[in-house]
Amino acid sequence: MTTPQAQQAEAVSVDAPPRAARLTWRRFRREPLGVAALAVLVLLVIAAIAAPLLADYPAGYGDTVLAPPSGAHWFGTDSLGLDVFAEVVWGAQQSLLVAAAASLIAIVFGTLLAVIGAYFRRVDAVISVVVDLTLSLPILPLMILVAALVGPSTMTIILVIAAFSWPEVTRVVRSQALSVVRLPYVDAARLMTGSPVWIIRRHVVPAVMPLVLVSVVLTSSRAVLSAAGLAFLGLGDPNTWSWGRILYEAQQAGAMSTAWWLPLFPSLAIFLLVLASTLLSTAYNDARNPRRNK
Amino acid sequence: MTSRPRRTAAIAVTAAAVSIATFAACAPSAPTEGGGGGAAVTDATLTIATTTDVVNYNPFVGNSRSDYWITNLMYPHLLSIGPDGEKAPELAEKWGYVDDTTGYYEIRSGMKWSDGTPLTAKDVAYSLNAVKRDKPAGTLTGQLTNFESATAVSDTRVELKLSAPDSTVVPEVGFWGNVVPQHVFEPAGSVATFANDGKDGGWVSAGPYVLTEVQRGQSYTMERVDNYPLVDGGKPKAAKVVYRVYPDVNTEILGLKNGDVDVIANALPPAQVKGLQGTQGITVEEIPGLGYAHMTYNMNKPDLAKKEVRQALAYAVDYNAIRKVVLADQAVSTGSSPIMPVLKDYHDDSIKEYEFDPEKSKQLLTDAGYKTDGSLKFRLIYSLQDPVTTQWATLVKDGAAKAGVTIELQGLERNTYLAKTDAGDFDIYAGNFAIMDDPATNMALTYLPGGVINYSYVDDPELSSLIEQARVTFERDEQKPLLQKAAKVVRDNVYDNVMYTQNLYVAHRSDWSGFVVKPSELLSIVNPISVASATKSESQ
Repeated sequence: MTTPQAQQAEAVSVDAPPRAARLTWRRFRREPLGVAALAVLVLLVIAAIAAPLLADYPAGYGDTVLAPPSGAHWFGTDSLGLDVFAEVVWGAQQSLLVAAAASLIAIVFGTLLAVIGAYFRRVDAVISVVVDLTLSLPILPLMILVAALVGPSTMTIILVIAAFSWPEVTRVVRSQALSVVRLPYVDAARLMTGSPVWIIRRHVVPAVMPLVLVSVVLTSSRAVLSAAGLAFLGLGDPNTWSWGRILYEAQQAGAMSTAWWLPLFPSLAIFLLVLASTLLSTAYNDARNPRRNK
Repeated sequence: MTSRPRRTAAIAVTAAAVSIATFAACAPSAPTEGGGGGAAVTDATLTIATTTDVVNYNPFVGNSRSDYWITNLMYPHLLSIGPDGEKAPELAEKWGYVDDTTGYYEIRSGMKWSDGTPLTAKDVAYSLNAVKRDKPAGTLTGQLTNFESATAVSDTRVELKLSAPDSTVVPEVGFWGNVVPQHVFEPAGSVATFANDGKDGGWVSAGPYVLTEVQRGQSYTMERVDNYPLVDGGKPKAAKVVYRVYPDVNTEILGLKNGDVDVIANALPPAQVKGLQGTQGITVEEIPGLGYAHMTYNMNKPDLAKKEVRQALAYAVDYNAIRKVVLADQAVSTGSSPIMPVLKDYHDDSIKEYEFDPEKSKQLLTDAGYKTDGSLKFRLIYSLQDPVTTQWATLVKDGAAKAGVTIELQGLERNTYLAKTDAGDFDIYAGNFAIMDDPATNMALTYLPGGVINYSYVDDPELSSLIEQARVTFERDEQKPLLQKAAKVVRDNVYDNVMYTQNLYVAHRSDWSGFVVKPSELLSIVNPISVASATKSESQ
């Protein structure tokens, strides 16, 4: 009795991705904010990748210290006379790397736990408790503690941020996965195979994928904020430029109030990235589920 | 025992030393300009900005800058210091040696604690003996190595018994040690653990002010003590001193510009000095440096045990750029010698600084059998709470890269940094000392095996013997050549890479004047005599 339904559902789920993707894209193109956000993100990524073409790596020291923005130095110079534009461009590389790596780890780990939890109800109790527990921890002080004890490096920062970002993903994805697992087609799949891995991979994960995509964007924008926060506290990697490090050095040099361009440009970059990510994920979500918002 | 001098040192970023003012009690010889010439406001409140809370009210264990500044206004030192490191009278009027193993201080008579109890030689003897016995983690403990005991032979004379001849004990202990009230500290037991947090009816002071009200994270209010003979007229000028806690130097500068505070106690970041010098209503004072910033190479590491490698590193630092850019030309080269030019009497200007020559570094490394393709790696630690070092650390890294050496920067939160320094967990250490006033004492602490700040782990018999000899030489003319020879050994073998003495700048509102400048950020214009002498003029 359930078989035809299940087959139909499967047929939809197999064929759905390309069709749904095309539909989503068509709807997405009609969201001006979403398109603009995407453009900003693409620009930032291009800037990060093309950093060597855009500016020389800021190293050593420059001639004019704390010079305001001018033709020679678009974003002015810092207290060592280095070009702030170059720092922001090269900082994009580090900031985006941390964002991508940390959110990737958090997403993979978080999604895995979410679908396992949703599928195996007995494990779910444990996972839920761990998630609730982690979510209730004061994250920033803990991140500071860990980063301070281990010592600042890019790897530390990625791991620290990932370690405190996955529960959010798990919680969101799990709630969706739970409803998917209860759908008839998953019951049907259970009749067809005894392998939970196959069912999770083939049916559960694809069903929660849109949500995961939204989470990727949101988690990485949050990762950028956390990384900048840590770097501002001096816990960033001192060997590479990041937006947080520019802010940190401005603060250390006591130049925050006298050289407005030092805090402004890296903050602007962070702001743009976070705003664009949020708008993009909202637009994507709307495009994917048109019924929800209209 | 291990943590003292470094502690104060790290705290105080760098010292400073060229005061134009006389350091003796009264009459500031360099009254600050500005002022507007109005009549002095009587009973004004002097508001001072700091960036840290008081962690410890016990001067023997004090650790943060605020600890030092606030306890210094209550617990007097026996000796003060001049811009060239020469000691000057404070509580003690005379000091010296009776013989090789007996020192003495003659203190002022008629001094009183704020509760009315007279301050006598007994308090001095108690303070020194208690520190020797309990070994609190402050700077003084390190100065007491050859000190055995102190006895009050009269109300104004203390005699010190030494376990071995040591010409440095009397001046150094006199300068670094605070005198505390015996009748308050003794009932509390060990001075290493006594919090002195005023919970038993407040504080007792023999300085110009006494702490009366504490609002953690906000402010520390101190009231004037009427009898303070060390200042002109015997009474401090401002009725109240309020230390206000600010999050960082940026907000302090804003506070000063707005008139919320009268003085910023912390030294200004070098890049901010020019801007503030040109700001109306604000006066910037130069604080002479009396310490140095340096890097040490951990000789317990096999690569750094080789002289050629250390020399290669010394040639790979652009010292001029560091002083010019990071320190905005506010620092003086020491010629890579641990005896800085400010110690005029001891400095040897025939000792020359290592020049920046990456090619020479490469040559030295190649000759020593190393590749210069970046495969030789060292880890440099520094404190993140020290913005100047944080900035030049990147220049050190860039310079070494030119010589084909990779330096990995490890900026650490201050307590982690101190712990790693203590444990020798570093290849290269970058840091600074606020006050290195006495070459013999400092070289003993820095270069003798087992010395508490021997961060290069140097153990050179020739050097050790020179320092030991200098320590027991009481005549300066005989001591000088020994110390200069030792400094040359240190420089030539790169047992230490001393980079500069920084002259600091502090800012105050121009309607305040009369400050007495003393070397180092610890004393600067917030030393007791300066605070007690400052006056506010009526109008601007």
